[in-house]
Amino acid sequence: MVIKAIWIVFLPLIALVIGVFFLGLSRKIIARIQCRYGPPIYQPIIDVIKLVNQASISHGRIFDIGIILSLAGSIVLVLFIPFGGIAPLATSGDLLVVVYLMLLAPLGIALSGGEASNPNVSIGISRKMMLALGYEVPFLFAILAVMTHYKTTSLLEIVKAQQNSWWGVIYLPLPAIAYFMILPAMLGIRPFDIVSAPQEIASGPAVEYGGRYLALTTIEHAFHTFIVIALFVNLFLGGGNPFTFFVKMLVIFILGLFINAVFPRLRIDQAIKYCWKWPAILALAGLIIARIV
Amino acid sequence: MQLITILVVSFLGAGMVYLAGMISGKTRNILAVLVSLAVVILVSLTYNQKIYTSFYALPFLNLSLTLRIDTLSWFFAIAVAGIGFLSILFSLEYMRRYERLNYYYFMMLFVNAAMLGIVFSADFLSFYIFWEIMSWSTYLLISYKGGKAVAAGLKYIIMSVAGSLAMLFAIVSLYTSYGTLGISNLASLLQTASPGYILFLLLMFVIGFGIKNAIWLLHTWLPDAYTEAISPFSAVLSGMLTRMGIYGFLLIMYTILGLNVLHKLGYGILNFNYILSWIGAITIIIPTFTALLQDDAKKLLAWHGIGQGGYMILGIGIATSLGIAGGIFHTLNHAIYIVLLFFAVGAIEHQTRGVRDLNELGGLIKKMPVTFIGALAGISGLIGIPLTNGFVSKWLIYKTLIMENYPFLAFAALIGTWGTILSVYKFLHNIFLGQLPEKYANVKEVPWTMQLPMILLTLAVILFGILPGIPLKVISGIEKSFGIKPVSTGIFGMPKEIGELNMISILAAVLVAGVVVYLLFSLSAKSRRVDQYDSYAAGSFVPKDRYQFSVRFYDQAYRIIGPYLQDVVDDFYYWLVRKSRSFFQLVRQIYTGNVNTYALYILLFLAFLIFVKLGWRLW
Repeated sequence: MVIKAIWIVFLPLIALVIGVFFLGLSRKIIARIQCRYGPPIYQPIIDVIKLVNQASISHGRIFDIGIILSLAGSIVLVLFIPFGGIAPLATSGDLLVVVYLMLLAPLGIALSGGEASNPNVSIGISRKMMLALGYEVPFLFAILAVMTHYKTTSLLEIVKAQQNSWWGVIYLPLPAIAYFMILPAMLGIRPFDIVSAPQEIASGPAVEYGGRYLALTTIEHAFHTFIVIALFVNLFLGGGNPFTFFVKMLVIFILGLFINAVFPRLRIDQAIKYCWKWPAILALAGLIIARIV
Repeated sequence: MQLITILVVSFLGAGMVYLAGMISGKTRNILAVLVSLAVVILVSLTYNQKIYTSFYALPFLNLSLTLRIDTLSWFFAIAVAGIGFLSILFSLEYMRRYERLNYYYFMMLFVNAAMLGIVFSADFLSFYIFWEIMSWSTYLLISYKGGKAVAAGLKYIIMSVAGSLAMLFAIVSLYTSYGTLGISNLASLLQTASPGYILFLLLMFVIGFGIKNAIWLLHTWLPDAYTEAISPFSAVLSGMLTRMGIYGFLLIMYTILGLNVLHKLGYGILNFNYILSWIGAITIIIPTFTALLQDDAKKLLAWHGIGQGGYMILGIGIATSLGIAGGIFHTLNHAIYIVLLFFAVGAIEHQTRGVRDLNELGGLIKKMPVTFIGALAGISGLIGIPLTNGFVSKWLIYKTLIMENYPFLAFAALIGTWGTILSVYKFLHNIFLGQLPEKYANVKEVPWTMQLPMILLTLAVILFGILPGIPLKVISGIEKSFGIKPVSTGIFGMPKEIGELNMISILAAVLVAGVVVYLLFSLSAKSRRVDQYDSYAAGSFVPKDRYQFSVRFYDQAYRIIGPYLQDVVDDFYYWLVRKSRSFFQLVRQIYTGNVNTYALYILLFLAFLIFVKLGWRLW
């Protein structure tokens, strides 16, 4: 019980450190790919400290509550996703709960941004919703394939089953590939940075954010990066102990970054069509195989 | 006796309210509230009782009209009574601008009384009588506003009559085969009936109940009816009245036939339950995505009403203890949040003088915060955000679909949720968020009699989201009465052997995380409140009131999915109407208006009669 309580406090901190490290790393790697030097890896920390001390504007109460809800939702989610054997709350909610808790963060941003009454924000949110509709189709096929294959909805059971035999990616290669193909869309990085798109809609949902609002969205982004990749490692790469888990996450993240750093941004309709084409077909084929076998 | 009292109070109360309206409006309103409250209290007193009474012996057919109550009836009755009370309360202020109020309150109470009669009926004759009373009074209430509402009402009543006839057909056939219409008698008699006969019965009842519950192919009356009906009645209609279909499905499938009989219907995957589940799945997907294209707030909710009905059918169709529990629980949850949403739209309509076009509203959160909270709770329940009521019932359905190895049905149910998110966010954004147009600068919050129902329902959404054990305990009693293994449940979630779900841990985690983030937020540098026009537009100028950015909110998605979402079923029915109209035009030509032709008809008919009399011989 005490150990559980300690992990409840520490796991979000670990997730935050890893997430922030990934954010910093991604900026560095992209800079090097584009022949720039890039900021130091701890740049996001500097940004957050600077931002919490800066003044900002607010558009109303939901503008504040939404942003708090979105970060709180992400922190809660971390507790439900096993991190290399550490899963303080995973017995209180299964993969279905995780999928639903993943709604809290975007919903919070959407509520908060909605009250900003800025056209760019609304366009950004509508793009986010459409993009989510796009990548949820292959995502749901993929997780259903996993749940059908392991005959359970529990993330703990899924990880345990993989540690007793091969990793999930061996049995379910197609859903794994599909999940990997939509990873940038879920993370909102290029070529799927349609939602923020600074040159088109002035950072979309974040237009009206400044100071502490921007700090919280940065932290939320770090958590979100952690969650999406940790889920992938749990579902297809067999979990592991905290160290190997981290290494697997790092490999997946960097692989994704290499592929996606060189692509230009897609339009939203292209993104939806992309998601509904190859990733969806692959994941569906994987689901059919998992159902039959 | 208790059941007769309830029905007498509700039917006579409706009449009394009408008479009281002759004296004064105020007396009528008070009496209407009192009657509906009395019904709630009377129904809640019958909890956990088993009553069976006969109230009228027919002088012919050797039948008597009987009433009974069991857990299933009680569950539906309390929901009907509760929603009836809240809608009457909501009407007090809402209806102030309308005329013919005596008639309106009479009909509202009357339709509730008829629904109570349906769930208390112990034989199919009483069931059918109350069912028809409900259908016809619904027709009168839908067309209350006149104009387009009459067309919507007609569309409803034509389909409803078709459904009733199918049901009557089955009832008559039951009577001629078995000589009794008592539900408990039939339950034992039908166990040995041939599968073919059972299938015929089920088909007839599915048409009858399916039209009421608007399953796909039989749904076309619903969008118009919900949209054109007056808002408090839209709430009743979507909350409980439509769900009488679900009650009917449960009654025929589980109270009467039971799982043993159902399992014998069909071979392999072509069995009744599996096909019904797929109809449920289609009912989820198509209407939910159609809702995305709607610009009328009530029509958007109406399409969701159809779509959520699909979850209930899916849960009931899959026929596991979790699935049935999920289906019944979702019926209650849906009633709570959809009534809340219709009240919220009603409040908006009331305060903006009848505007419910999503493209004309905006920014009302600052003017109507209570309504906003109600709408937010409503859409959260509709999506099934954890900690709101819709989550647990949907979770039960997903869980059973995955564990029973139906991943494609599970996909249909899950993707329906994502379609829901898109459209309900548009609903919330276009009404409450975004810029407040100048013309609504003087809009005020609704008076307390309209706020109170919304607040109560908001609390119910959260209560059943955190403590799903309360309704699930009643539901496991219902399952026991069906002879199915009852779903075992804890107060906060599910026990270990079913799955990992514990709402109180989720609540605690959300609260603690929320407090931590709030502390971080409030310890940072403060922010300054600015008004809605003080926003950054990347150097461009945002003109006041002329920058409507919520029109066609998901334009790119519309373009991709829109072409697939034509309501082909509705088009087909209209095609049928046109074709039959031209056929009947042809038939009409025999009425020439000329006496000579009529004389000729008479002569020909006489000749025909003589021909028949001669034994079909020409010579």
